[in-house]
Amino acid sequence: MTTLVETAPAASGFKLSEWIFTTDHKRIGILYLIGSVAAFLVAGLMAIGIRTEQYAIGESGVIQFFVGDVGKNLSSGTAYNVALYFHGAAMILGFLIPGLTGFAANYLIPMMIGAPDVAFPRINALSVWLFWAGIVVALLTFVIPDKPDIMWTGYAPYSITTPGNTSFYVFTVHLIGFSSILAAVNFLVTIAYMRAPGMGWNQMNMFVWCSFGAFVIQLVFVPVLAAAVTLLLLDRYVGTGFFDPARGGDVLLYENLFWFYSHPAVYVIFLPAMGILYEIVATQAKNPIFNYKAAVYGGIVGIMVITGEVWVHHLYVAGMPDWIRIGMMVTTLLISVPVGLMVISLWGTLYKGSITYNLAMAYVVCCMFLILLGGLTGIPLAITSMTVHLARTSFVHAHFHFIMGLMATYSVFAAVYFWFPKMTGRSADSKIAWLAFWLNTAGTQITFWPLFIIGVQGMPRRYYDYALFPQFESYHHIATLGAALSAVGVLLMVLGWIISAVKGPKTSTNPWGSKSLEWTHTLSPPGPGNFPKPVTVSETWTPYQYKA
Amino acid sequence: MRLRKGLESRIPIGIATFVASLCGAGASFAQGAKHGIISPTIAWNETWHDVLVDLFVIGGIFGVVAIYLLIKYRAKSPDAVGDGPKLNFDKALAWALVPAALFMADDFLLSAKGWSLWNIQRTVPKDALEVNVKASQWAFEFDYGNGVVDGDLIVPVGKPIVLRMTATDVIHSFGLSEYRLKEDLLPGRITHMWFYPDKPLSTHVTCTEFCGDAHAQMNSAVKAVPQAEYDAWLKSKAKKTSSLPQKSSL
Amino acid sequence: MQDTVHATGGHNGHAHHWETSWAPMAVAFGALFLVPLTFASILVYKSLLVGIICAGLGVPLVLAGVAKWIHEGATQHVAIERVSPIGVGVFIVGEILIFLGLFASYWTLRLSTGVDWPPAGTPAIGKALPLIMTAILVASSLTYHQGEAKFEAGDRGGFTSWLLLSIVLGAAFLGCTIYEYGHLFHEGFTPGTNQYSAAFYSLTGFHAAHVLIGICSFLALLIGFVTSKVNPMFVKVAGIYWHFVDVVWFFVASQVYFW
Ligand code: HEA
Ligand code: HEA
Ligand code: CUA
Ligand SMILES: [Cu+2]
Repeated sequence: MTTLVETAPAASGFKLSEWIFTTDHKRIGILYLIGSVAAFLVAGLMAIGIRTEQYAIGESGVIQFFVGDVGKNLSSGTAYNVALYFHGAAMILGFLIPGLTGFAANYLIPMMIGAPDVAFPRINALSVWLFWAGIVVALLTFVIPDKPDIMWTGYAPYSITTPGNTSFYVFTVHLIGFSSILAAVNFLVTIAYMRAPGMGWNQMNMFVWCSFGAFVIQLVFVPVLAAAVTLLLLDRYVGTGFFDPARGGDVLLYENLFWFYSHPAVYVIFLPAMGILYEIVATQAKNPIFNYKAAVYGGIVGIMVITGEVWVHHLYVAGMPDWIRIGMMVTTLLISVPVGLMVISLWGTLYKGSITYNLAMAYVVCCMFLILLGGLTGIPLAITSMTVHLARTSFVHAHFHFIMGLMATYSVFAAVYFWFPKMTGRSADSKIAWLAFWLNTAGTQITFWPLFIIGVQGMPRRYYDYALFPQFESYHHIATLGAALSAVGVLLMVLGWIISAVKGPKTSTNPWGSKSLEWTHTLSPPGPGNFPKPVTVSETWTPYQYKA
Repeated sequence: MRLRKGLESRIPIGIATFVASLCGAGASFAQGAKHGIISPTIAWNETWHDVLVDLFVIGGIFGVVAIYLLIKYRAKSPDAVGDGPKLNFDKALAWALVPAALFMADDFLLSAKGWSLWNIQRTVPKDALEVNVKASQWAFEFDYGNGVVDGDLIVPVGKPIVLRMTATDVIHSFGLSEYRLKEDLLPGRITHMWFYPDKPLSTHVTCTEFCGDAHAQMNSAVKAVPQAEYDAWLKSKAKKTSSLPQKSSL
Repeated sequence: MQDTVHATGGHNGHAHHWETSWAPMAVAFGALFLVPLTFASILVYKSLLVGIICAGLGVPLVLAGVAKWIHEGATQHVAIERVSPIGVGVFIVGEILIFLGLFASYWTLRLSTGVDWPPAGTPAIGKALPLIMTAILVASSLTYHQGEAKFEAGDRGGFTSWLLLSIVLGAAFLGCTIYEYGHLFHEGFTPGTNQYSAAFYSLTGFHAAHVLIGICSFLALLIGFVTSKVNPMFVKVAGIYWHFVDVVWFFVASQVYFW
């Protein structure tokens, strides 16, 4: 198959109405990207607030400013809790899930499968604007006086009795959740019915498969979260008693419903992140995916099957019956089997490859080690009796910041760099971007290793002050320093993107020499309808056919 | 036909590994069933050590292989392409089943180790001293029976202590990091945990479930003191409580 | 499959231009005003006035967006034909799980409460009304089915009358709900009364909301017919959804009234 692209019309000129009213999947993807990066920046700013407060024992006196409480009406504790609530909720619901299943899926899936758009373009537009509406509600945190302080987990009965505004948490979840459900419907139908004629399921890009898995999980589990937070809303404002034992409710019900969704949510993040890594590794190593079918049917499908039976590992010390803690310990550990198969397939894709390094690949290389760090630290947490000490300590932070805050996050950064030429026709590979890369990498390692160490020694989570643990203070100093470095890195990175989008060096249509349809058959940036000519693929075609 | 053969040659390997892992499980169970009181704290530290070794081995192997691959297979020329193998059916299956069996074997080993420790953590010794704990925003309260209620947990060295715990308002958690233990306190329910103070120690319990504004300040002293000292302390407390107007108990 | 689509044309067949529609954005931001902001104004900040203003902004936005959407759906070509019913099918999987989440909560409450069920404070709840409501809903499913058959046979007039009948039956169902709620409220059985009332109102209320949405989609169909523009897929989609709402009622009714 040649990589030649016929000259096709690139719509030119910027018209605002063509962007905000767009139903085109590429533009919707970019709207998702803008929204999720905005959420990331504000949530990152909250992280800086958190780190500033934890820098030293005692009150910093500035955390109130971070949450927009200029008059200092809130105590340091409350302000910290608000910042942490926003940090967790926005990073997961506002940044990673929309960044991966919104931006990346939208931008890439239709082009990778050779389709002109998604199955339901208007519903797609509805999804992105519901997501933005959710961001708006979340951002209202900074202007209302009764800021929500219930953490991203929103455990009842605290969330029912707090004076904070629990309803905005619920509505953020509703809006973004409904957006996710619609997106899942859209993409499942698109993947199943809109593949280019000739493209079988086993010829799809790994990213498409990973997203397929993520969307199935979204479709099945998000509704349960929606139900849970709805009942929370009723309990808080209408007076029902589902979760409050004082009114005959069940204390553990909310936790169970919440984690029934929110554990699978981590694979909604992990799967597309892995998909991005596969695409970049295969392209940069000019190799087919190693043991594709094992990764798909063992890895992705395996995760889809097991992920619904492990949620109690978040409730190991929550007072659940003993037998269920043991049962879910075994299922949780078994997750390492499908994940391990995916890891082997990723590693194997490098084998006998011809690897060239660029910025995207640099982030991917980091990710490979972050999977090990973050994934393997999940193992002691999965063992019930180990978690009895490790739960709710900084060790958990270290675990999920390595796998999610870094690995999944870097996969989004890598995707932006890798498909930047596609989106803009320009390269984002610049000196600033490399400087940002090193600052990010160094900064985050400096931030999270200390948390690891003090976590094992028992540093509790969600503590704005830790007077009982003076021995941890110097570790917190270091972590805060690291966060400052990564803040500079993030700012430079985002700045670099904006500059490159306007005046980065122009690139050819397929700068990395990929064999995947979005590179071989479309322009950069692609016009409406993606493909100058309808695409058909042969029975032997794969997106990774580098060897003649 | 080809399929049958591929399966036939792989199934024994799978079964063998599975059996091996079960044996591993059995061995670690047998270990846990010793006599006398095993301190959950010491057992935790031992298991932690084993788990770390396990993870370092896995992480080490994958990490080293990654570095090797990333360096070894750098492009020789800009437009060279990779020469990655196309696996035939047998090899593909082997590359799925063998690693899967190995991972599972390790998972079962870890489960078994975890379970034996769990049995220690959840089997309360018969002669354990019982203390009732009540948490509310933002303090713990310890009820020793006999009307002794205090904000600190004072226990005699050498005696297993079992805590029966509940909360009055929202969820709290009893984080006893020095003893490697933790369990939530729930409104409307009673949970339990036990620990074994085998030597004098002065530490703290910290609340480890988010419970609002002063979550970070919710803690109590936990002191393991010699039996005599404990008896004396209890006596002085009992006197004080009885001389005071009736204090509310659990 | 999608070989009928002109590659450069998106789903509209015209080359070189970006498809746009303001309908989705209007619906999304309308929903933002109508639900979170109205709710928060009234129930959190206790300001009826602000609540009315928010609802006043939200309702027209949603209505305009939906109207525009339906209009476009009837007049524009789609990327792939006949896939909408599969779309609702997939969506219904999600819906089922919302209901399962609610049911799971109900079961937990009920089973953890122990023997004395219904808990104190529950008045006698008649079993006749739910049976009548079931009959009404089943009838409406059948009438709509009849309508669809007429539609397929090209009998638009026949379809319209069956559709009207379905709407009337749906409205009658909602009427029963309102009557029942009013009656129960009068006896002091409100959502906050006990665990049963919480489950009762959340399950039947959530189901009633679905009935309402179904009726709204029927009304939209009706208006489409009056202005003689209708997308045949819409007829089918509304039908699938309505049947689903019907089937869910069996579970709601059996669990809530007869267990
Ligand atoms: C992208 C997000 C992501 C991902 C992928 C994971 C992956 C995993 N997580 Fe993590 N986790 C979170 C995000 C994530 N987690 C978050 C956000 C929280 C905290 C939420 C909160 O409380 O706020 C959390 C918390 C959390 C807990 C609860 C801790 C507590 O609060 O007490 C547990 C416990 O079991 C756990 C376990 C695991 C396991 C076993 C995996 C596994 O999937 C990991 C599998 C990967 C590997 C094992 C490495 C690669 C595999 C191999 C090299 C093969 C060989 C390996 C073996 C045989 C072991 N996680
Ligand atoms: C995607 C997920 C993600 C990501 C990327 C991060 C990134 C970071 N996180 Fe976060 N974190 C979570 C998810 C994530 N986190 C979750 C789920 C929790 C749990 C919450 C809970 O307990 O409920 C948590 C909790 C958490 C804590 C625990 C606090 C506590 O328990 O008391 C800490 C403390 O150090 C922390 C730090 C950081 C830091 C320093 C970064 C850094 O990597 C951030 C780097 C980014 C920046 C520094 C932004 C820089 C930009 C600017 C400064 C410019 C701003 C400009 C404008 C707004 C215009 N995080
Ligand atoms: Cu009590 Cu935290
Ligand atoms: Cu989990």
